[in-house]
Amino acid sequence: MGTVHARSVDSYPMYGRDMGVNTDDMEMMEAVQETKQEVLENKNVVVQHVNIEGLGRTKEDYLGYEISDVFTARNLVEVMRKSHEARQRLLRLGIFKDVEVVIDISEGANALPNGLDVTFEVTELKRLTGSYNTMVGNNEGSMVLGIKLPNIIGRGEKLTFQFSYGTKETSYGMSFFKPQSGYYERNFTLNLYKVTGQFPWSSLKETDRGVSTELSFPLWMTDHTLKWEGVWRELGCLARSASFAVREESGHTLKSALSHTMVVDTRNSAILPQRGALLRLNQELAGYTGGDASFLKEDVELQLNKPFIWGSVLSASLWGGMLFPLGRQPSSIADRFYLGGPTSVRGFGMYSIGPQSEGDYLGGEAYWAGGLHLYTPLPFRSNKGGLADLFKTHFFLNAGNLCNLNYGEGPRAHLQKLAECIRWSYGAGIMLRLGNIARLELNYCFPMGVQSGDRICDGVQFGAGIRFL
Amino acid sequence: MSLAAEAFVSQIAAAEPWPENATLYQPLKEDQILLSDSASSLAVQTFLRMCGLPVLVSCRANAEYMSPSGKVPFIHVGNQVVSELGPIVQFTKAKGHALSDGLDDVQRAEMKAYMELVNNMLLTAELYIQWCDDYTATEISRPRYSNPYSWPLNHVLAYQKQWEIRRKMNAIGWSGKNLEQVYEDVSQCCQALSQRLGTQPYFFNKQPTELDALVFGHLFTILTTQLTSDELAEKVKSYSNLLSFCHRIEQTYFKEHEREGQFGSSRHSKSSLP
Repeated sequence: MGTVHARSVDSYPMYGRDMGVNTDDMEMMEAVQETKQEVLENKNVVVQHVNIEGLGRTKEDYLGYEISDVFTARNLVEVMRKSHEARQRLLRLGIFKDVEVVIDISEGANALPNGLDVTFEVTELKRLTGSYNTMVGNNEGSMVLGIKLPNIIGRGEKLTFQFSYGTKETSYGMSFFKPQSGYYERNFTLNLYKVTGQFPWSSLKETDRGVSTELSFPLWMTDHTLKWEGVWRELGCLARSASFAVREESGHTLKSALSHTMVVDTRNSAILPQRGALLRLNQELAGYTGGDASFLKEDVELQLNKPFIWGSVLSASLWGGMLFPLGRQPSSIADRFYLGGPTSVRGFGMYSIGPQSEGDYLGGEAYWAGGLHLYTPLPFRSNKGGLADLFKTHFFLNAGNLCNLNYGEGPRAHLQKLAECIRWSYGAGIMLRLGNIARLELNYCFPMGVQSGDRICDGVQFGAGIRFL
Repeated sequence: MSLAAEAFVSQIAAAEPWPENATLYQPLKEDQILLSDSASSLAVQTFLRMCGLPVLVSCRANAEYMSPSGKVPFIHVGNQVVSELGPIVQFTKAKGHALSDGLDDVQRAEMKAYMELVNNMLLTAELYIQWCDDYTATEISRPRYSNPYSWPLNHVLAYQKQWEIRRKMNAIGWSGKNLEQVYEDVSQCCQALSQRLGTQPYFFNKQPTELDALVFGHLFTILTTQLTSDELAEKVKSYSNLLSFCHRIEQTYFKEHEREGQFGSSRHSKSSLP
């Protein structure tokens, strides 16, 4: 392996990558031509060597786990299939720009007559990549600088920096990612950040400086994430006219929270899925590891999708959450739940349902929301494919409620509280899928069950987001 | 809020009478408040008592951050929030409660000049002693300031505050001074006040003004607060007319109402005047 490695290093600058691969490709074709006849007769082959060429800073032992499966192949079709799988596994690591596979007959003193050598020719990502963006929005312009150092130590570790310098606020983030060797899905992330958010519906400004560590791992069909987060939160009023209830929450607090998330996702796509279900369970325990905030927060999200007649999809979702303050302290405005807006209960203003004070929404300690959707392809569509596939029409029925519970009362009283004053809405609209991460919606909504203090959006409402009810 | 809108709001505010539930917010009296904040808070309370305006005192750990200007104390009256003595005087004036109406223009200018003197000398000296004298900062200011916060936020916030004050001292040229010079400044300030007061009951004879409230707030707090050394209080004590001035205001506006409670007693304070 070592000699091959050395050859590749000095051959690349001389001839360029493409030249090398082409010649190798031709050799491979010849090799395949020669052995093809035998393979079809089910003659066994033995993979004698698996080489990786083109490695610079990547440690070979890190890749061993990914490619070792190729050795188990017993005939050429299997060799090709397993090589292809190994290639996919290598690309998934996010450390190579390109991976090519070359299968050749073995040569040299120990070569068996039916021996094969598999060579992965990889091109590593550059040591450092940078990006530069400018963003404009919400009366604020900002410049975002990003720096990424993939595979920094040689075993898949990734270090990213992001720095955003805005006309109003500066924020930054640093994250270090380390996968377990041979088990990429089991990984560890360390984050360091400062973010600033402005929440006009609450006249609230929040600056978070924090550190978090995350451990992600799959378990049977589910994905789990264990997280510890320590955040220094600074709350302030967005304007002098903010309500006194928000003013009272101003100041510094420290939150130290342990959280666990479990996700089962069998949907075929995260945005506009056709079939499958999603279950997300999130629980957060704050205060146990120190800090000023102490509460237990439970949050659940369920979504079911089913294909319906004429290419339409029927989708149902249910969200719910509860926050239990532990100890004497009441919950903070920054921890409570918010509901309403074009991404949850449509027809209501953004997070403008439930308890409020002088027009500032204070959030609630318990909520539920449900949605029923019928997604259909655009009508009068001439042919499949093309731009029209990104659009869908939908009819929806949303309902939900957000309130504060008196935890002295029993669960019966809680259910009753959550069942009265239900806000609901119905309507129709069109939506646009943006890649596989976000979607835009333009709806005509009829809000119903409006309570005093709720802000409504009767008629056309535009929404953009990544998570939808 | 635009200036026009603010003017409009204060017009509205003027029309409303002083409510019963007007509240003054300050940091925690027992464990948190520092000399300078305590003095400012006492000045505002004295001013409101002189005006005969009732106010409830509420102690909050986050009072500093609740305040629209970031400084304590502030009052919440109706749906208005006003911080610091100067704006509060303006605000009560808009509501028809003023102490300095009887003064002529010359006296009013003189009053403003003396108030500036107190703010520039006494308040700055208090801040200097609290945050720039390392011994006081370590023993009293940082532990008390950060008392309500948990580790490690308490250290972060205390040092952040200390840096902020030190930057301010740099900007006004006080960072080169040593403790002796600051005490000397306090002494000079007291001398000026003592001379102006003379044998009158208040600075402008019979009628108390916001200057009396401000001077009382600072001097009384200095006299009754235990710091790492008694030198600051000693400087004030050498002016007997200022001492009796403090006694008089305490008797008139505080002792008559209730002997203990509304002000002045923090963990490290002596409860009454020497």
